[in-house]
Amino acid sequence: MKKVIGKDIMEKLSIKYKSNIGIILFLLPIIILFTAFFLYPIGFLLVTSFYKWDGLSAPTLVGIKNYISLFMDPVFRLSIRNNIGWLLAGGFIQVPLATLVAILLARKPKGWEFLRTVYYFPNVISIVAISIMWMAIYNSGYGALNGLLKLVGLANLQRNWLGDLHLTYPAVVLYGVFYIGYFMIIILAEISSIPKQYYEVASIDGATRFQQELYITLPLIKNSICTCMIIAMVYGLRQFEQTYIMTNGGPANKTMVMVLYLFKKMHSFRYGLASTSGIILLIMGVFVIVGVRKLFKVEKYEM
Amino acid sequence: MFKQRLLNLIAITICFVLVMGFLGLEQNNAAAAGKEIIINFPSIWVGKDSKAKVMDELIAKFNEDNKDNIKVVVEEIADYDAYEEKMRTSIAAGSVPDIFITKAGSKIEPFFKSGKLMDLTSYMNEGWKDRFVGNILNTATYNGKILAIPYEFAITPVLYNETLLKDAGYDTFPETYDEFFVMCEKLKANGVIPLSLMTSDNAWTAMLWYSQLLHAFGGPDIYEKGFDDPAYVKAAQAMKKMFEYTTSDAVGANAAVAAGHFLSGRTVMLMNGPWFIGRIKSEGSGEFYTHVAVANAPAYIGEKGEKGGEVGFVQALICAGNQKDMGKEEAVVKFLKYLTMPDNVKRLSIDSGALFVIKTEMGAGDEMERLQKQMVELSNNAPYVIPHFNMSVNQEVATEFPQALSSMILGETSPEQFIETLKAIDAR
Repeated sequence: MKKVIGKDIMEKLSIKYKSNIGIILFLLPIIILFTAFFLYPIGFLLVTSFYKWDGLSAPTLVGIKNYISLFMDPVFRLSIRNNIGWLLAGGFIQVPLATLVAILLARKPKGWEFLRTVYYFPNVISIVAISIMWMAIYNSGYGALNGLLKLVGLANLQRNWLGDLHLTYPAVVLYGVFYIGYFMIIILAEISSIPKQYYEVASIDGATRFQQELYITLPLIKNSICTCMIIAMVYGLRQFEQTYIMTNGGPANKTMVMVLYLFKKMHSFRYGLASTSGIILLIMGVFVIVGVRKLFKVEKYEM
Repeated sequence: MFKQRLLNLIAITICFVLVMGFLGLEQNNAAAAGKEIIINFPSIWVGKDSKAKVMDELIAKFNEDNKDNIKVVVEEIADYDAYEEKMRTSIAAGSVPDIFITKAGSKIEPFFKSGKLMDLTSYMNEGWKDRFVGNILNTATYNGKILAIPYEFAITPVLYNETLLKDAGYDTFPETYDEFFVMCEKLKANGVIPLSLMTSDNAWTAMLWYSQLLHAFGGPDIYEKGFDDPAYVKAAQAMKKMFEYTTSDAVGANAAVAAGHFLSGRTVMLMNGPWFIGRIKSEGSGEFYTHVAVANAPAYIGEKGEKGGEVGFVQALICAGNQKDMGKEEAVVKFLKYLTMPDNVKRLSIDSGALFVIKTEMGAGDEMERLQKQMVELSNNAPYVIPHFNMSVNQEVATEFPQALSSMILGETSPEQFIETLKAIDAR
């Protein structure tokens, strides 16, 4: 009897073993790619963050000195603050705005398809082109914004928008939050998957349109909003293109962000410090993703 | 069934690996068999660069003359910052281009130290070095080895709009800074913006003025004296004053904006090098080119700098990466020698207005461009020539200079604090 049980177990193990080999073989390419292009770079980043290295000659071990000098640097601290501003603007202005527009368009008012295209259109244009356009709009000499202010009799409010200690950062952050097309499309797709019967039943029960959106739409698109918030906030954390093109971190480092700081350290042949700021950026990214998921208590709905 | 599929998958994978392996072997064999050698040359002398046209023709001619043996393949990177970044990261990753361009001073030093550049000393000793002016090869020498080719040279005097200056009552450019600021005030009162300045990117035009001010106050050896010399603060104070006479968008403006103001006649003065002459001719509005003249930056009476002292430097050096294949190394050297042939350099110089460190002789029919000629005269008559500030400080100070400058211009820091900031960065 014992022998029979033993044989049974061996057969089961054998089947499991065979199927595991198949799984491993099929997963192997992605494991290799993931290791080569994700795990290895992170490991490399982590190791070099403890070294003084100019990127060309042999590195010197300096322990946690890079981490200390980063947090002692007021420019790095400012860049963290600025990044937090970017991610909050993305998560709490851009995504709610996109949600609102998506809910309005989902009811398919007259011209909704045109509006959907208009809102999404900037997403097919390169960020570089958009940034250059906004540089022209903000220009103090010939820019449209100052021109408009003059036209409406507010010439005293004209500024050098990209060269002001206090206004440049909000000017660079704020225009970006109105580009909501990408998130709007994601949320719109999610809304369109909600069965119409829910609204019909609610309507029969006397629910107003506002109540329907509040108690049916919003709870059912919660996961999509969460995804959009993660994307928007992570984008805010790794913000680079707009800042680099429009201000290069200036004036007086007032618009500096972490990736640009990292880039400038590389530019100064301080690869060790650049790696250190990369690690801090990664840690912050993990916190953001975990935090947003906890905030939304991500779960699955059966529809 | 599953086993069969698995075997098929393994067989396909083995075939794929073998095919890729043979393809690799085929490529190696091609190189070994003495077929066409490809020289990879990421170049900044493309697009709108004033040397782009002739450089393109020269490379085409070289490829034609060496058909089936050597082919120079140009990778066009028009933006200098992007170019610099790509070179640095490529080299850091161990992938050194066959040939690439870099600046002198603190920019090239890490490349010298990396040990990844081709040693050109033995080739130079075969007579090649005679083509270069004076002791200019010193800028390309590290630990006794010649590791690059000094190529383009520049001085950066004041380019000014003669007509606008005449309209303000000035027939000649001021010789002292006191006169200069009086002139700026007069121009401003007439509704004309005197200076094109900028603080974004590397704050190029402002940085060049700062270099001029530094030697005007501190003399030709100012960089050796260090940040404690009072000339640094005095120059910062004068720099701050200059920003009172510039465009409203100067803080935050980049080189394109600053140049655009000058080329469209909105400003009177821009400090830049001979490579800019081509752009004055091609991008200046209307007859703009005919209104532009060249002058020395002013001097301060009673200070250490001399009248006519210039900011000048080797603007571009050409480096070559180490080669394992001797045939390819010789092909690279052949191309470098071709680029430094006096006739080719002369063509480049006449067409672009750029200056070079290669000895050339102007023939009867060779007419040097007007502004270029004025720059050469200024350079020849200069009591001394010193490099610009960015080239003379460590890379991190150069990177932080624009931010520290904009902070001072906007009143967040004083000139003294501006220098203290740079000093602290230098001490890191």
